[in-house]
Amino acid sequence: MNEISLLFFIKILVLLLVVCWISIGVSMFYRRIRTSRLALIEATFADLVSRYLYNDPANPLSVQQINDRLKKTGIRPANRNNVQYLISLMIRTQRSISGSNFTKLQKLYGMIPPYGVSIKKISSWNWYRQARGIREIYEMNQVHYLDEVLKYRNDKNIYVRREAQIAMVVFLGWESLRFLPYLKWNMTLWQQIKVVEKLYDFYPQPDLKWLQKVYGTERSFAKRLLMRIIRKFELQSEVEFIMKHLADEDYEVRETAIYCINTFSVSSASMAYIKNEYDKIPDATQKLQLMNYIYENSNMDPEFYLEKLYGPNEDIKLNVAQILWNNGYKEKVQEFYMQQFPKSSLYVG
Amino acid sequence: MKKVLVIQEDLIILKILERLVSLNNYECKAIPSLSDLSIEDQESNFNFIITDILFEGIAPLQFVAQVQEILTHENLLIVTSMGQDKIKQEIFALSGISGFYAVPIDLDEIDATLKAYNE
Repeated sequence: MNEISLLFFIKILVLLLVVCWISIGVSMFYRRIRTSRLALIEATFADLVSRYLYNDPANPLSVQQINDRLKKTGIRPANRNNVQYLISLMIRTQRSISGSNFTKLQKLYGMIPPYGVSIKKISSWNWYRQARGIREIYEMNQVHYLDEVLKYRNDKNIYVRREAQIAMVVFLGWESLRFLPYLKWNMTLWQQIKVVEKLYDFYPQPDLKWLQKVYGTERSFAKRLLMRIIRKFELQSEVEFIMKHLADEDYEVRETAIYCINTFSVSSASMAYIKNEYDKIPDATQKLQLMNYIYENSNMDPEFYLEKLYGPNEDIKLNVAQILWNNGYKEKVQEFYMQQFPKSSLYVG
Repeated sequence: MKKVLVIQEDLIILKILERLVSLNNYECKAIPSLSDLSIEDQESNFNFIITDILFEGIAPLQFVAQVQEILTHENLLIVTSMGQDKIKQEIFALSGISGFYAVPIDLDEIDATLKAYNE
């Protein structure tokens, strides 16, 4: 490498370094401007919301004034990032407030931008934007977009249909259960929990009419969701639905039924039914779980346990032996174990 | 004029509380953290302190203890997004707590408390 080419190489490196410095400088400058813009939007929104919620009769704040000030801070249809930031502030505020001010906020959100940004996202080709758009719609309670959102309840993307189904619950409450038998895709456990939690937060007063209408569903996830709802709302009158599924042919339905029945105490007649169902359960682990429920929620029934003591499964037998031993039937357990030794004579050498 | 100190990191909640307090005819000092308190403020006697408990670098209970130690006040109201039962129990186990409001906050309750004190 001669002197000229070395100098040329150094010049290229210096040039690259300068370009790098300039881009860092521009980036820092942009970030500073952007941060101050976001801070301005937040401060303006905070001021407007506080004045709107607690309007001073001497200096009232009109919706026109609110819109003008938001426009001045850069909330315009062309500035999508600013509008998106405003939406996040609106959602954050709505989550923090309840009572009469929550209603006031909803009214305010209907009168100020975000220029239909959320509904536009729904028609995007990107699943993430679609799901986010639906989420913003239900978070801001834009119920007038319900029909649009409903179309996505059977979307092929799990996140899009998940948000659409949660939106259904937020907007329609207990009535949204009528769509349950017509959902085409499986509902994951996480999704079921989200639905139950939203229903509980937004509609704590049960409307059993809609729940009972879906009892005939054949879909496994629908049965599991219904049982989780019964458990969450502690609907003692609906425990029969859970009991009927203790010996369901689907493993997951049985698992949910056993999990949910643990929340309830039942009458002796219902307990007799549960004991009868116990024998129909094909899985030993689930049998054990149900046996523990029976033991903890009913009077000691030695006949029931003695029958199980002579059953085929070793784990169950051990559990039964423990129950009998701890409840005054030691001799029955001893008798059972003695029978296992062969009747052979002792050989003493 | 009766004085209220509001400490909230969330600017929107801070502004709303400041507005609510001012409209109830209290003199209001609204700050995002304890470090924004001036020397004069520290010497004031506040009728109410309305504060969050979730701040960077300090545990919630420790923060409450610090507020109680350094600021003279009559009533201490907690307004926070940490509304778990365990936290609530721990906060109420401390002496001198007048109220605990977890997010989502019903501001009407705080409004009623301020009005009742003013009468």
